[in-house]
Amino acid sequence: MKYRINTPEGTRDRLFAECRDRRSAQGALVDLFCRRGYSEVSTPEVEFYDLFLQSGNPIPQESMLKIIDRSGKIMVMRPDCTTPIARVAATKLKAVPLPQRLYYDETVFRSGDQHRGGSSEIAQCGVELIGAAGKKADLEIVAMAVDALRACGLTRFHIELGHAGFFRSLAAGMDMTEEQVEEMRRLIEGKSFAALAEYLKPWQGQAGCAALLRLSRLFGGVEVLDEAQQLAGQNAALSYLRELYDILNAAGYGQYLRFDLGLVHQIDYYTGVVFRGYVEGAGDAVLSGGRYDTLMGDFGRNAPATGFAVDVDAVARCRPSAERPGVGTLVHFAPSELDRALAAVDGRVAGTCELSPCETLEATLALAKEKGAGRVLVLEPGTERMVEV
Amino acid sequence: MSQNLRIALTKGRLQDQSVELFEAMGLDCSPIRDPGRRLIHALPNYPLEAVLAKAPDVITYVEHGVCDLGVVGKDTILEKGGSFYEVLDLGFGQCRFALAVQEGSDFYGTYKTRRVASKYPNVTRRFFEGKGMDVDIIKIEGSVELAPLLHLADGIVDIVETGSTLKANGLVPIEDVAQVSARLIVNTASMKLHKELIEDFIRRCEAELEKRREEA
Repeated sequence: MKYRINTPEGTRDRLFAECRDRRSAQGALVDLFCRRGYSEVSTPEVEFYDLFLQSGNPIPQESMLKIIDRSGKIMVMRPDCTTPIARVAATKLKAVPLPQRLYYDETVFRSGDQHRGGSSEIAQCGVELIGAAGKKADLEIVAMAVDALRACGLTRFHIELGHAGFFRSLAAGMDMTEEQVEEMRRLIEGKSFAALAEYLKPWQGQAGCAALLRLSRLFGGVEVLDEAQQLAGQNAALSYLRELYDILNAAGYGQYLRFDLGLVHQIDYYTGVVFRGYVEGAGDAVLSGGRYDTLMGDFGRNAPATGFAVDVDAVARCRPSAERPGVGTLVHFAPSELDRALAAVDGRVAGTCELSPCETLEATLALAKEKGAGRVLVLEPGTERMVEV
Repeated sequence: MSQNLRIALTKGRLQDQSVELFEAMGLDCSPIRDPGRRLIHALPNYPLEAVLAKAPDVITYVEHGVCDLGVVGKDTILEKGGSFYEVLDLGFGQCRFALAVQEGSDFYGTYKTRRVASKYPNVTRRFFEGKGMDVDIIKIEGSVELAPLLHLADGIVDIVETGSTLKANGLVPIEDVAQVSARLIVNTASMKLHKELIEDFIRRCEAELEKRREEA
């Protein structure tokens, strides 16, 4: 009985304002997704462990919460929504023509490190655009990432774009083993400026080296594309990012866009444009997404795909919390007057009026005092009066 | 959020050396040198405020974004890990992680599972995992050198600066585990949202480090 009262580490009870803020962020996102033609899918919270092994989606084994079922199979609490949705799209939705626009509003589970204040339950709201390759699909998704954060009421945020192909094309020009490329990628991802310079010394002078050396610093406004082009020369990924930017800028999205060409996380998973959203007030990215054209193939249906997920709680924490008015009126009613009592409650602003369960008016007045309600509406057969507390 | 950057400095020797570095960069660090009772020290001539913290807390503050920057030893980074940008090696606070055993003992020359004491169980575990070797790891909070003397452990993995403490206790370092020095770390979101301020700070650091290298 020792653990009767506490909740496990990484989980918590969410009360009142926290729930309202979460719901309102979810509501804003779902509303946007629906308007753009996305349909909701909901996959099981518990899946087979194997699902997340074969997908090439690098969720470390130790961050998955595992359960052993009755037959001894290993199950996990869903650590990510994209993989199950790809499974659904490749199997159950096989007959549905592409492209498919899908959205989800779910909880994912990751077992975080002990005592780091991280949450094991992450509310994620996101979209997947499956079966659409190319510029227009990327434009739709990036624009929607901006609109998603705007819809949540945020103003001071960036969506930061990168491209998995830029790093790959540079790395391909280097005479390096796979392990060496991975070490270089790790240093670029961690923006370890000095360590990267040190590490790349033996390759100095090779084709992509100058650009790779600067890669971890190539983040900021659209000017980083110019700098990258000077270093790397003509490059398909760079031209593509430039093209996206020009169109998005013309459509009014330019002020929210930044670039980070050193965005080289999960390089085996993402195949094209990758992006993250940063908001003033959150210590980490609150939105993350990109193009993953090979995942669907793992489930037997080759199809390009792109999407993103929003960390709903992180977003909700960054916006001003909506105050809810307190209870102002209690309704003391004779049981025969139930219909009038309910009509009185329903007719007022939500949360400002409640029924009193008390038998006597004195008890109701005492309750009103305790709750800080200023008035009691007394409903008796044929009469109605307001009593000030 | 304030317009100032906030940096967390590891208390003690790294703090002194950080202050020396910042002063060489032209920052007036008198509020850190003479802290009084304040816990947050705003610098008068640079948009930066400093807090002092124990090494693992520096990482915690930076990871959560309540501090934009931090100065912390690579030893703590290796042990605690975390998600942040590790941008610069500041060059000071140099030492190394080493595996040390009692003089004359043969650590590897047996099939018995070895027992290793350390303040850094994660570093130790990764080191031996890299060798494909199973060891029992015992976490010790205080003087790790005591563990082999009391025959609690066959060896230790610890920070070695001069090696004199080891020597005084009849221990010898037999293998390097990792090199350690002070690092400048940056919160991932701050790096993006306060790019100009942070880049200016990094540039000044780099210029001073470059100068030091040339003088050396």
